[in-house]
Amino acid sequence: MIPNARVPFWRNQRVLRGVAQVVVAAAVLFLLYVLWFNVTNNMRARGVRTDFNFLDQPFGVRIAGSDLSPSAPVRSALLNGIRNTFALAIVGLPLLTILGVIVGVGRLSTNWLVAKISSAYVEILRNLPPLLVVIFAFQAVILRLPPARNPITPFGWFVISNLEFHVPGFRAGDNYRPFMMVMLVAVLLGAFLWWWRTRVHERTGTPHHRWLWSLGTVALVGAIAYLILDRPLTITLPHLEGRVVDGGYRGLGAFFAVVGALAFYTSSHVAEIVRGSILAVPKGQSEAASALALSGFQRLRFVVLPQAMRIALPPIINQYLNYVKNTSLAIAVGFAEVTLVAFQAIGNGQPAPQVVVLLMGSYLVFSLVISFLVNLYNRHLRIVTR
Amino acid sequence: MRRARTLAFLAAVMLLAACTQAADTTTAPTTDTGPATTADTGTPTTADTGGATTTTAGTEPSGGGLLGEVQSRGSLLCGVNETVPGFGFLNADGTRSGFDIDYCRAVAAAVLGDPEAVEYVPLDAQQRFTALASGEIDVLIRNTTFTATRDGGEGATFLTTTFYDGQGMLVFTDSGITALEDLANTAICVLSGTTTELNLATRFADIPYTPLTFEDNGVLQPAFVSGQCDGWTSDKSQLAGVRSAFPADQGGPEALTILEETFSKEPLGPAVRDGDSQWAQVVDWVVNATILAEELGITSDNVDTFADTDNAEIRRLLGLEIESDDGTAVFDAGLGLEPGWAANVIASVGNYGEIFDRNVGPDTPLGLVRGVNDLWLNGGLLYSPPFR
Repeated sequence: MIPNARVPFWRNQRVLRGVAQVVVAAAVLFLLYVLWFNVTNNMRARGVRTDFNFLDQPFGVRIAGSDLSPSAPVRSALLNGIRNTFALAIVGLPLLTILGVIVGVGRLSTNWLVAKISSAYVEILRNLPPLLVVIFAFQAVILRLPPARNPITPFGWFVISNLEFHVPGFRAGDNYRPFMMVMLVAVLLGAFLWWWRTRVHERTGTPHHRWLWSLGTVALVGAIAYLILDRPLTITLPHLEGRVVDGGYRGLGAFFAVVGALAFYTSSHVAEIVRGSILAVPKGQSEAASALALSGFQRLRFVVLPQAMRIALPPIINQYLNYVKNTSLAIAVGFAEVTLVAFQAIGNGQPAPQVVVLLMGSYLVFSLVISFLVNLYNRHLRIVTR
Repeated sequence: MRRARTLAFLAAVMLLAACTQAADTTTAPTTDTGPATTADTGTPTTADTGGATTTTAGTEPSGGGLLGEVQSRGSLLCGVNETVPGFGFLNADGTRSGFDIDYCRAVAAAVLGDPEAVEYVPLDAQQRFTALASGEIDVLIRNTTFTATRDGGEGATFLTTTFYDGQGMLVFTDSGITALEDLANTAICVLSGTTTELNLATRFADIPYTPLTFEDNGVLQPAFVSGQCDGWTSDKSQLAGVRSAFPADQGGPEALTILEETFSKEPLGPAVRDGDSQWAQVVDWVVNATILAEELGITSDNVDTFADTDNAEIRRLLGLEIESDDGTAVFDAGLGLEPGWAANVIASVGNYGEIFDRNVGPDTPLGLVRGVNDLWLNGGLLYSPPFR
């Protein structure tokens, strides 16, 4: 064998691998191309539009809970739907996490009643189809509230009907913008103090009092700014004037039905993950904590839960994604999230394939953003090896 | 170096893909010609049962169009509603009834000789055009409003209007609402993906309101009854159906009022897929035949008694033999249907007036009057082109 002879290219592993990859890539591209060609060709043959120009056409109808006029383009309506889906996510995800952790810990409680209630909660909710839970929350809970023409006003602070919930809110005064700037600076300052106190604590062991330092600073700065700027924010209570409710913040009843139903439903799955993760933490950890005379709560808070969350987080991401995807069930109770708006657009003459592609794309973005964010946190939680 | 090579490969692949385009245009792969069979209802679909006067067993499929396809399949795939009493409704015993259902039966009677040879495909408002364009159904008869964009952009062709409707508003009688303006600052329930939704936005352009859009009447009705919305807007015929079926324990029909004002034109009629004019003509003439039959006084009861009539148009319509110098012949309009198809239609479902009276007329719970849905001879809008 001649040591320096070149391997012929048809036996060169690098070349062969490269060729194989190109062949596979070409096959995939070809398949996609055939699919695309097929779809557009058949759509054209049936006289259906294939372009995306419809996004500029007027949507034609109003959307509940938004000021969009019927002449606003389809684009704005879809964005409005995406915003409503986002609202469902931003309210529901923290809620289901908290519920899930509480119930998950509750299932392991030594208190018989707490453990049984938690088990019942999990077993009932996770064995129901989510659509059923949503429709139940809407028809059996929300619709049972007083009708829109005759709402109740508990304490004069709320106006509640089965159409809308109104709660006290803030109204911007004259110096609203400068006040918000000052508050932003105060929050940044508070964050810095938090970091500084943590560092001092780690270096010297003196108590950090992080909450006191940072919250105290924000509160103090806020109070001074509030007085100097002559009430930049005022609280408004919702009040009835005939059929119009003025002031405060509002939310559609269907929104709360969807958030409540899906948060309860998904939290039952999260609870099981939390329970399993706690059981996965070696028993010795808990025993060691007891040996150090930590109380039951301290054992959970400082020893067991931090280790359990590290195990629980990846499967919990799946539940977050499920939650976001399940928000499309809001269509059943008429809350205008992105699926409902998209189907509305299709029903009103916009081309279905394009709208559905946009719809899939928006869910894809939602899911990818959520997994990205939670993965960042997951990395933060990882055991730091020194 | 390596990256450059990869890029070159990619470019080559793209070139290859582009080259195949020319070859593909001739053998363009088609996704579907055979419609997917979907949720059917257990309706018997044998084509050669029933009291048809002609047999269709030996019918030559006429051409490669949908007509031939339906005939060789032996059943008609009809896209229908099942939640609107009087128009398209699934009864408690599993049968279907309604004005639109009767037209499905009429088309089946004309094409297959058997009004029972229909597979009903229940569709909601948003699915209907996709189902039609994708070939899931042969004909859409689902209280669908004829509009320009639907005709032009949805891949659908609308045919002769079977019911001239208009949009109205349903409110509770005790709500004190007597005009549309009284609904300012309230919520209004409406089905999503309908023309009613668009008309509502137009009519209420200057009246503040919250639209609550639902997928089907099954969820909309509880929301309306519980007072989430103060008004329910839809085609007046549909609202009449809802009102007639309103449960007695909630006050019965008297508890509801349909406001006077009609604020849109809603011509409802069958629609077929674009691009098959033969099939469109067939469905069109089935509708025309029911109108013409009423004009000529032919009913399901007396359709068999015209064998000796001298009226040439009746003879042509019913496919009776016509004397000529060269002996007798049967009139064939060239629609690709068996002679006597119209007699089948009338024997199966009756003329327009019978269909109307049976499903939505004064003696039904809906209690609608003919109004504009009367023959042109009586001052209505129904007018069939001559059958010659």
